[in-house]
Amino acid sequence: MASASDRSYTRRDTVLFFLCVGLSVVALVAPTRVGLGVAGALRQTVLAPLVWLQVHAEEGRTSRARFREVTAQRDSSSYLAQGLPSLLAENERLRQLLSLSRRLSSSYVAAEVLHQSTATDGRTLLLSAGSSQGVSPFDPVVSPEGLIGVVLSTAERTSIAMTWAHPEFRVSAFTVTGNAAGVVAPSLSAASGEGALEFRGVPYRDSVPSGSLVLSSGLGGVYPKGIPVGTVTGLVREQAGWERVYRLLPAANPGSVGHVLILVAPPSTDLAAAFPSDSLLQAQRLDSLLRERRADSLTQAARDAAAARRDSLARVHRRATPADSGDAPARVPPATGDSTR
Amino acid sequence: MMPARAGRVQMVVAFLLMLLLQFYVRPRLWGPRVSPDFLFVGLMLLALRSSPGVAALAGLLVGLAGDALTPARFGAGMLANTLVGYAASWGRAVFFADNILVNAAFVGAGLWVRDLLTLLLSGAGDRPILAEIAVYGPLEAVATAAFALLVLLASRQWFSVRLDA
Repeated sequence: MASASDRSYTRRDTVLFFLCVGLSVVALVAPTRVGLGVAGALRQTVLAPLVWLQVHAEEGRTSRARFREVTAQRDSSSYLAQGLPSLLAENERLRQLLSLSRRLSSSYVAAEVLHQSTATDGRTLLLSAGSSQGVSPFDPVVSPEGLIGVVLSTAERTSIAMTWAHPEFRVSAFTVTGNAAGVVAPSLSAASGEGALEFRGVPYRDSVPSGSLVLSSGLGGVYPKGIPVGTVTGLVREQAGWERVYRLLPAANPGSVGHVLILVAPPSTDLAAAFPSDSLLQAQRLDSLLRERRADSLTQAARDAAAARRDSLARVHRRATPADSGDAPARVPPATGDSTR
Repeated sequence: MMPARAGRVQMVVAFLLMLLLQFYVRPRLWGPRVSPDFLFVGLMLLALRSSPGVAALAGLLVGLAGDALTPARFGAGMLANTLVGYAASWGRAVFFADNILVNAAFVGAGLWVRDLLTLLLSGAGDRPILAEIAVYGPLEAVATAAFALLVLLASRQWFSVRLDA
């Protein structure tokens, strides 16, 4: 085997190196459409077995996690079912409330996110669903928390999604109160911090308080109306008399998401009902709990009444029995209401 | 079988193993940003054994695969991997001793530089680059270097490296 000193730095190496650098530079300066086309062709041909392998690995990992989750839910439900049967139905209802896929009225395709080792993972995501499942470019990608991004290009079984962290991402948005509208874009400045969004183009006359939820407006024909984009955390800058720019805390994190839904329906549908706010969910849950408690109290009252009736009948029966036989004085048991419970 | 040909076969087998680990084992590990980059370890092992030109070509192909799967900026990964592959092979031939710890550290440093170059070439903002330099890059580099150390220990006969520090 050749040692380090035996290796020679030859002309062939230099030529090969400059050839590789040249090819890389050509790929770098080529139009985005060409790059995406080459990437799609590679994913469908040479890299198809590797993507298939990764899809199966990802499914294996998430399947284990889902199995553990389902097992834990089943165990919890079984435990609760032994003592409080009504909570089992309550759990089922809550799961239904939290299940985004059941709330969505439009068509969607579920996909795994195949995270890559490159530093740019999170700006674009490789998804395990492609054109054969009905996915096409410009389909919105969402998670239960909110907007993730948009499909950039598709191959037969995979697709590339541009997330909100990508510098070219834009979405038309408005506040949930409807008092301000603008465009949401990723923040790349040091002042706003990494992983933040900016709500730009808000008219100077409109002010948005911190904590306001910002939703997609449906303008532009790409994203449906009503998908949560983020929450206002503060003012970034303002141009006097012209516009204000607000900082947003994103609703969903593309870096850690493992499973997404690709909306394949026309963007004209309003999805606001599919993403209820936390307060609405809490209110629904409290209402449900009150109804269950009321039902439980009625059942308990009926049970107490039946017990009291049985107790009363037993006392009457005991009083009557010694008088009929005549061999012993009647003994009345202490009148405790809960003796038969 | 000729020794040179046997070495090439061993290298191909090692590289295929790294591909399998990258696409089948890596998704099952912990966070994707700090898991070892097995494909990069394969590239560096190849760079340790081959000429700079071949290492540059291997870097181009590894970068092409990476760019096809996450085309944030097509070509950025190709150029970064080409430069790192070439520099690794050339630098080892000129500067570095056949020492297993030095080689493992070399892999970690190469990964850190590769990620930094990829971010710079793909036009990332200053905050993501800072986070990469300070947090994710070092964590991923340490994980990758640790794995490279295991691989080099297991296959030191192939790579002609010494165990003494």
